[in-house]
Amino acid sequence: MSLEERELAELKSKIGRDPTSTELQIVAAEWSEHCSYKSSKRHLKMLPMDGPLVINEKGYDSGVLDVGDGYVVTAHIESHNHPSAVEPYGGAATGVGGVIRDILSAGTRPIAIFDGLRFGNIENDLQARWLFKNAVTGIADYGNCLGIPTIGGEVEFDECYENYALVDVAALGFGKKENLIKNHVEEGDVVVLMGGSTGRDGIGGSQFASDSLESEDRSAVQIPDPFIEKLIIEAVLQARSDGLIHAMKDLGGGGLSCAISETADAMEIGIEMDVDKVHTRESDMNPDEIMVSESQERMLIVTSKTKLKKLEEICNKFRIGCSVIGDVNFNNQVHIKKGEKTVANLPADFVANATLLDLPSKEPTYLKTIETEKNFESISDYSKLMMKLLASPNIASKIWVYGQYDHEVGIRTVVKPGADASVLRLDNGKYLSAKIDGNPKQCYINPREGAIGCFEEACRNVVCTGAKPIGMLDHLQFGNPNDPEIFWTFLESLKGLTDFAKSFEIPCVGGKVSLYNETPKGSIKPTPVIGVIGLIEKKPSVPQKISNNDCLLIIGDTKDELGGSEYFEYVHKFVGGKCPSVNFADSKKNMTSVLDIIDKNLIKLAHDCSKGGLAIAVSEICMTNQIGCNVSLDKVPGEKLDVDRILFSESHSRYLISFDNENLSKIQSILNENNVSFAQIGQFGGKKIQFNNGTKSVIDLDVEKAHETWLHALPNLVLHGKKTN
Amino acid sequence: MATFSVHVTIENKPGISDPEGETILNDLVLKGTHETVSKIKTAKMLKFTIQEKDKESAQSKVKEICDDLRIYNPMVSKVTLDVFEN
Repeated sequence: MSLEERELAELKSKIGRDPTSTELQIVAAEWSEHCSYKSSKRHLKMLPMDGPLVINEKGYDSGVLDVGDGYVVTAHIESHNHPSAVEPYGGAATGVGGVIRDILSAGTRPIAIFDGLRFGNIENDLQARWLFKNAVTGIADYGNCLGIPTIGGEVEFDECYENYALVDVAALGFGKKENLIKNHVEEGDVVVLMGGSTGRDGIGGSQFASDSLESEDRSAVQIPDPFIEKLIIEAVLQARSDGLIHAMKDLGGGGLSCAISETADAMEIGIEMDVDKVHTRESDMNPDEIMVSESQERMLIVTSKTKLKKLEEICNKFRIGCSVIGDVNFNNQVHIKKGEKTVANLPADFVANATLLDLPSKEPTYLKTIETEKNFESISDYSKLMMKLLASPNIASKIWVYGQYDHEVGIRTVVKPGADASVLRLDNGKYLSAKIDGNPKQCYINPREGAIGCFEEACRNVVCTGAKPIGMLDHLQFGNPNDPEIFWTFLESLKGLTDFAKSFEIPCVGGKVSLYNETPKGSIKPTPVIGVIGLIEKKPSVPQKISNNDCLLIIGDTKDELGGSEYFEYVHKFVGGKCPSVNFADSKKNMTSVLDIIDKNLIKLAHDCSKGGLAIAVSEICMTNQIGCNVSLDKVPGEKLDVDRILFSESHSRYLISFDNENLSKIQSILNENNVSFAQIGQFGGKKIQFNNGTKSVIDLDVEKAHETWLHALPNLVLHGKKTN
Repeated sequence: MATFSVHVTIENKPGISDPEGETILNDLVLKGTHETVSKIKTAKMLKFTIQEKDKESAQSKVKEICDDLRIYNPMVSKVTLDVFEN
């Protein structure tokens, strides 16, 4: 229970009496940071939410985008950080379940799952390794049982997540526009709770998520049951097609309390419900427990009395629980009874809208000196260093992770995980591409530029498949907002994202704020995770096999921006330096040029330069194609830089494209027309990855050895505790 | 030193759902004619054979091993140890 004194006083003065214990529980759940967004809501309004493709309806839990021909795509992102930190398997799995139901509640079928995972340093932290291994298994088991492909995501390790886990899950849905649930109610409608039974698991979960972990009794664990979830998906979609659903909401954080009060508030109705009607797992649950239980796999549906019979038939057919728990009226009250006895009676809008806070913010003092770089010993052997980087957990291949996920079920996956972004085939002949990206190392050094960088990186990834970004999901994860320095980093990130979204006309279609992410050692680094959804009207760029004499060309300038890079942090153990920043004009030019070149079918593959810089990006192309490449570092466009910076700077807006030699002049003329900075920097062939500076050889790697190391480093570490270097 | 069998039973804590047990109950047992059954819980059992000086140290050693190797998650699981002298 975490109602502050001020909030308790507000509650008392509003209702003019002492609240009952159930009322206290309901309000505490709904006014928790997790459900009410009380610290962040007034600022989130700055994000652009509208666009030509965006469909806004009241009460939607997910963003809806019109993709033409009568079809829509829905998208949502959620996190399950606190539960995953104590029970990684169940926490990560139920996180997937929650976001799937958000997609379902708009009346669309979930077609893809993405997951962004962050843990402590798995090289020496056994707890981090255990969390990582089990969270991945949890996601795999849940998604695979549901028959929904997990097609993308990212994994990152950083000391700041010691004893903690960030598990972000995003999902996409697809359906016909005419089948979208038009949330509405009619007089005499009834409220139905369908799905799993309500038990004592996850009691107080949303308040738990709004407190720091260390002070917790850690009892809010939820057990996943993907088979019930699958039945719910099918039952809901059938009920939707039969027109049996007037309004729908999934039960997530805050359980029934939030679902009931938010539905009543959004629809401007009152709901009278009886806790005795709820199907429970145990017989002795009291009203308070029933109202705040966060048992998984449940949906709240409003339907009419006449349609109820058909809905019950569907639930019987799929053998899932279904109880009529209450009635709709028009007095705008949330009225909870136990039998005849009233246990709570509160105004819906009052419960659903906590008083928003205007928290103070202050620039963190650490930022004043963070850009100052130290002098490091010069690198004697860059080839050796490269092998070390290729084996580092953040850069090593993540195939051990996505190999556990079924990414092809549903037969929509055209471009599979492992490339920049995956691509899904839609029923109207178009294609959808999506990616989520985060970068806490850069966001720590510069919260604004770092957040913009995540956004641009996600855009670059979908652009590499030939998709035009049409929507964005933001997931803002920070520490305790009552610390003005932390709140400042939140605001800076948000402002950066807003500027980028407005400038590129990419509306924010959904998001989540997760605060109070703290470990015993302090706050996590600012970790905004950005999802970008891109639409391909014609044909996606499916990576083709590179052959001898194909060209390697780089688009975009390489700058002196090693701050927050893997090179600084992994090799030199140095946190600081100048964070990469995005030049909006260049970014736009580069994006349109790449899309143009892909559209004209001139390239074999496009790959963005990000983690590990140019050196890693080129090596990734070579390793996945089992071919060597000879790169001239002196030709790389941008200011004059030393070799370290050209190789490892993580400057944004850069793309690598590979193509047949005969397309070179066509590509050059497109890039010249668009006034883009570019250069042909290398040629493929042989079995060596070579970087030369003038006539001097800097890096010389055997592609097969490099591939071997890069591919096996992560499983060797996680499964056998073996460090590759 | 004597030889002991230590049976470690790992099950979900009371109050936490047990989808596997519920499925066995609903889809196998109740589908037959066994209406007298009202609940089934699944559990995992590990049978250790261990050499220790007495029952108590056999039990505490096995408990220690299970804790160290994270054979179960104390957040979710209830663990019962039964010791038998061979």
